[in-house]
Amino acid sequence: MATYDFIFNGLGLRDWCDAGKTGDGPLSMADLLAKGGSGEDPSIWSLPFPSLDALNDACAKFPQSRDLTKGVEDGFLAMKDMLRVVLDPLTQPLSWLLDGTLTLFEATPWWIMFPILMLIVYFASKSLKLVAFVTACLSFLAFVDLYQHATQTLAIIFVCAFLCVLFGVPIGIAMSRNDRLQRATIPVLDMLQTLPPFVYLIPLIFLFSVTEPKLYGIAIILYAIVPVIRLTDLGIRLVDKDVIEAADSFGMTDRQKLFDVQIPLALPNIMAGINQTIMMSLAMVVIASLVSAPGLGVLVLRGIRNLELGVGLVSGLGIVLLAIILDRVTKAALDRVNAAQKH
Amino acid sequence: MTDKIKISIRNLYKIFGARPEAALEHVLSGTSKADLLGQHQHVLGLKDINVDMREGEITVIMGLSGSGKSTLIRHLNRLIEPTSGEVEVDGENVLTYGEEQLRNLRREVMSMVFQKFALLPHRTVAENAGTTLDVRGVAKRDYLIEADKWLDRVGLHGFGDHYPHQLSGGMQQRVGIARALTSNSPIMLMDEAFSALDPLIRTDMQDLLLELQTELHKTIVFITHDLDEALKLADHLVILKDGYVVQQGEPQHILLNPNDPYIEDFVSDINRARVLRVRSIMTPLNGNPVPTNTQGEVGHDETLESLIARSGGEITHSFVVTQDGTPVGTLDMTSLVKALVPRTASEDSARQY
Repeated sequence: MATYDFIFNGLGLRDWCDAGKTGDGPLSMADLLAKGGSGEDPSIWSLPFPSLDALNDACAKFPQSRDLTKGVEDGFLAMKDMLRVVLDPLTQPLSWLLDGTLTLFEATPWWIMFPILMLIVYFASKSLKLVAFVTACLSFLAFVDLYQHATQTLAIIFVCAFLCVLFGVPIGIAMSRNDRLQRATIPVLDMLQTLPPFVYLIPLIFLFSVTEPKLYGIAIILYAIVPVIRLTDLGIRLVDKDVIEAADSFGMTDRQKLFDVQIPLALPNIMAGINQTIMMSLAMVVIASLVSAPGLGVLVLRGIRNLELGVGLVSGLGIVLLAIILDRVTKAALDRVNAAQKH
Repeated sequence: MTDKIKISIRNLYKIFGARPEAALEHVLSGTSKADLLGQHQHVLGLKDINVDMREGEITVIMGLSGSGKSTLIRHLNRLIEPTSGEVEVDGENVLTYGEEQLRNLRREVMSMVFQKFALLPHRTVAENAGTTLDVRGVAKRDYLIEADKWLDRVGLHGFGDHYPHQLSGGMQQRVGIARALTSNSPIMLMDEAFSALDPLIRTDMQDLLLELQTELHKTIVFITHDLDEALKLADHLVILKDGYVVQQGEPQHILLNPNDPYIEDFVSDINRARVLRVRSIMTPLNGNPVPTNTQGEVGHDETLESLIARSGGEITHSFVVTQDGTPVGTLDMTSLVKALVPRTASEDSARQY
């Protein structure tokens, strides 16, 4: 006798429910526990919500919640092969790119890598102070023998952030020019941004082999692409209407308007988006070590798995240093853009 | 100055709202602006505008905010599309233009100066001034030469490598004017170009514009809400109110013959002695002999103020008015003093246009 028997009795579905009832089906733990206490009087305080499981108690034909999860799983597995046929070749270049960059970064000796990074920092920020700071941080990382892991993390971030910008900026531009596209895209972006990072990994693990770099590449890109899209869209929409009108009045084509007016004026916002994107790639690359992404995250994971407190904390500090470096350099570049076009 | 009509606006209507064509029917059948908004939720922007702008003249369109003057100027280069009517430039109806023709019109024939300057903050002053040529595909090397020439002309020599944010408002608007001049277009549209500047700078800029105009003879359409500015610049003055033309004509004529209480209110506040000119109030000779009992000669374009200064306030004096050295009329100080008193719109001053 279950709480919601009356629904099915009332609807005259009792016969349908009991038809083919064997009672030999697999029992869940909850079923077993429920069996023990079945003699109790039902009171209003223990009234269960009419959930799938509660209704199943009343009518065996009603699906249980585990049928739902099973259904989702079966559905995904059924689609998997088809998705793979499409997605595998499409995303293969990502694997090559990640592999290639990782190999390149690892093969480059530190005494070449350091000057190259210093040059990049200098050109982005035009600040010798920042170059000195970055060099000090990198030297510290190398000194505590985290150099190899740090460069792996950097390589992955370079590739993923680059691809985020490559795809994110055009998507943002398209959104800014089409209200309907914007309305359609924003819920997707909201979802990507609110999904817990671990959830990205679940379907990807089934789709791709765990040994392939594109698995974590896709997870990072999906997670980190959101801010650059949002801020590109916002930046272009915020461009001074008067300037746009002036551009129109001089007979600019849409193309001239986009490249000579809108993108340059939206650049501070786009740069802020790139900064966010890089920081989010860093956050995700640590989590992605769960699915074989190399880098500092692997050490953090080792610290958790083997309870190696020191390893975990030192590599955690390494991640913080990397984050500071990336943030300072992109912010310095952003400030330079801002200084050039304040109103 | 020729008498050729450069821009001609015919029966122009603009209605803002969801279904302007349907609302136009109501307007044509006599619904007022307030009723159109109250009953049909449409805003009447412009109503039956007919203006001819002559080549080489400064046509000033004046009105308070909300009178539709900025809407009107944006119809000339079709930044705003009209609901009905025609805009002819050099005899061609620009409303029939396709995208390509319209772009050419905006690039080659009209250039615009904006109230808020609308310079590109990421480009240098010289690059900004050259934007109008850059848009046409002129090489940077070439357009910078042209831009520098016009920057010099508007008094910004040596500022070419600065960025707009390093300049004051007045200087930024000089860049805006240089940008419009660089395009070498025969028509200049100036949308409240000097309204954002402080009064002294504004006077400077007005003088600059008049000085440039004596040389360049462009067809200028100038929007303002300031009557003093309008009277100073205008060859032809159009006064807008609530989207329709209240009165248009030669500024001196409007000042002496306001045909509407609205305009009377406007003109009653200004310094008439400084604005009115001798030619507007003199008695023409009409073949009569030149009187001999006068206190001297006076140019026909002088202001009454300068004449008062010359006569030392003596109201019994009278003068011979000359144009290019030939006597054309007489003026006695009594009629001058009378002209200084604003008169109310008289019954006989019916609309001239």
